[in-house]
Amino acid sequence: MWTINRYPGFWLLPALLPVILLTVYPIGHALWTSLHEVMILFPGEPFVGLKNYERVLSGNYFSVALRNSLVFTAVSAPLAVLLGTLIALFLQRRFFGSQVVRSVVLLPWVLPGAISAVLWVWMFHPSFGFLNGLMLDLGLIESPIGWLTNPRTALGAVIVAHVWTQIPFVVVLMMAALSSINGETLEAAAIDCRSPLKRFRYVVFPEIKSMLVVLLVYNALTAFTSYDIVYAMTGGGPGTATTLLSFQIWRESFSMYDFGAGSAVAFIVVVISALLIVAITKALPSDLFAGD
Amino acid sequence: MAGRLHPLATFIFAGLILLFSGGPVLLSLYGSLVPDRVLLSPDQSLWTQGPSFESYRYIFTGQLPDSYNAEGANRAMISDAARQVPRALLNSSINALAAMVLNIILGAPAAFIFARYVFPGKKLSFLYLILSPLVPAVALVTPIYMLLQSLNLVGSALGIILIHTAKALPFTVLILSVFFRKIPAEIFEAAVLDHCNRFQTFWRVAVPLALPSIGATGLFAFMLSYSEFLFAMILSGSSDTRPVSVVMAALARNTDVSWSLLNTAIFIAIVPTLALVILVWRFVVEGLLSGAVKG
Repeated sequence: MWTINRYPGFWLLPALLPVILLTVYPIGHALWTSLHEVMILFPGEPFVGLKNYERVLSGNYFSVALRNSLVFTAVSAPLAVLLGTLIALFLQRRFFGSQVVRSVVLLPWVLPGAISAVLWVWMFHPSFGFLNGLMLDLGLIESPIGWLTNPRTALGAVIVAHVWTQIPFVVVLMMAALSSINGETLEAAAIDCRSPLKRFRYVVFPEIKSMLVVLLVYNALTAFTSYDIVYAMTGGGPGTATTLLSFQIWRESFSMYDFGAGSAVAFIVVVISALLIVAITKALPSDLFAGD
Repeated sequence: MAGRLHPLATFIFAGLILLFSGGPVLLSLYGSLVPDRVLLSPDQSLWTQGPSFESYRYIFTGQLPDSYNAEGANRAMISDAARQVPRALLNSSINALAAMVLNIILGAPAAFIFARYVFPGKKLSFLYLILSPLVPAVALVTPIYMLLQSLNLVGSALGIILIHTAKALPFTVLILSVFFRKIPAEIFEAAVLDHCNRFQTFWRVAVPLALPSIGATGLFAFMLSYSEFLFAMILSGSSDTRPVSVVMAALARNTDVSWSLLNTAIFIAIVPTLALVILVWRFVVEGLLSGAVKG
């Protein structure tokens, strides 16, 4: 590592400026808009203080959307991390065809969200979906279930689809964490401790704990702000069963043309996310930047 | 990893993972090869009817499948959106390719500086860069839409490319700096002894050595752009500039469209991503896994 005494702006700004433009400006703008009455149809943008927030918070949809988002986040983040970690642990070993499995696991990651959504609409379809067919054949259910049209199962169904898209990222990062564990430590553990469960608990787990926390918070964040899967699968319905907070931003802004209210929801989402980001920074290992 | 699994258990686990990750994709391949009537009837299947390529033919040539020319057929099941798929694939590829090139040009110098130098404000800049993708995109959509509208970039490919570039840059810098850090320090010391200045060290030494990794990182940016939906949706205008994620969402929300056609559209859109998956795993992930990443 060499030292530079000045900030190397010439090298960094090409990368930093677009990112700053994409974050600082919109957040500032959302804050400003949320304090003003901005409607496309009416000219003039008077300052209204916190009135947008009041209207949004007292609206019918907000509490439902917030509750749905919280349930969605609380279920899908731990589920994605748990399944991803199990798959990563399994894929650590080499076996015949392990390269194929490793590649296929990545598949949900590269698919555009809309395509994943269609695939899962097709899995859950009441009359010829795979899931209903399987359950009918096994005799688990008497008649087909409309997974996405029944308000009680719709949220669960979109959670499954969302988790499916999030697993590959967990697998990749977890495999990176697992492969950075010192091989000699593992060999020593294999000699000292015969039970694989105990070995995981006392040797592997402490090494991947910080990665687990980071992934958990990261997944909570993506779940809390996810949009495309739910939009393409259910459009927020049936009724309000799958209306998420992110969807609410969209609805206020682009279908009601009330950008003030939409920005108020957006800013609430940003604040909640900021709390999660603080959590992720606290959890990040301090030697991440040290390098060699 | 230490520890042995019974071969049968390995086989079952691997099978389950394959089914879970790849199953839905296989189902769509199946769905694309049979007409709707076979799909809907319980006693007909691909194995009894043989594959039918009518939906593929319709998407690429516009020739209607025979069953829809029959009397009383529901013409609403044929959607023009499906015919936009090949065009949309092209649009997406152009966008993604442009975002990839811009990412490398803008990101590589920053990644090099992060990897090899200590400077004031390094930690803050780096933290900012890796935390910025966590800001929810949905919250940024409205202001960015208004900004690009004032710049007259809504409805053009350029707007989408710029946003995708900025969205992928943090990942590009992060991954590239890992790769640059893997080049032995002695090589750079030798470069300095030979009176290379900082730019020459970067351009003559670091870039050629890391070229495969730079390409791999570019693939990652390509992938992010290819699958992005939210900004692509609000920024794309007519069907001529619509990327594949937007066309697929429109198809998915159309409840009348033929399932055979829908699955065909999906599968055509998946094929490039399949190639992408193999490339990304081979060059990005395996590269990252061979050390250097701290958990």
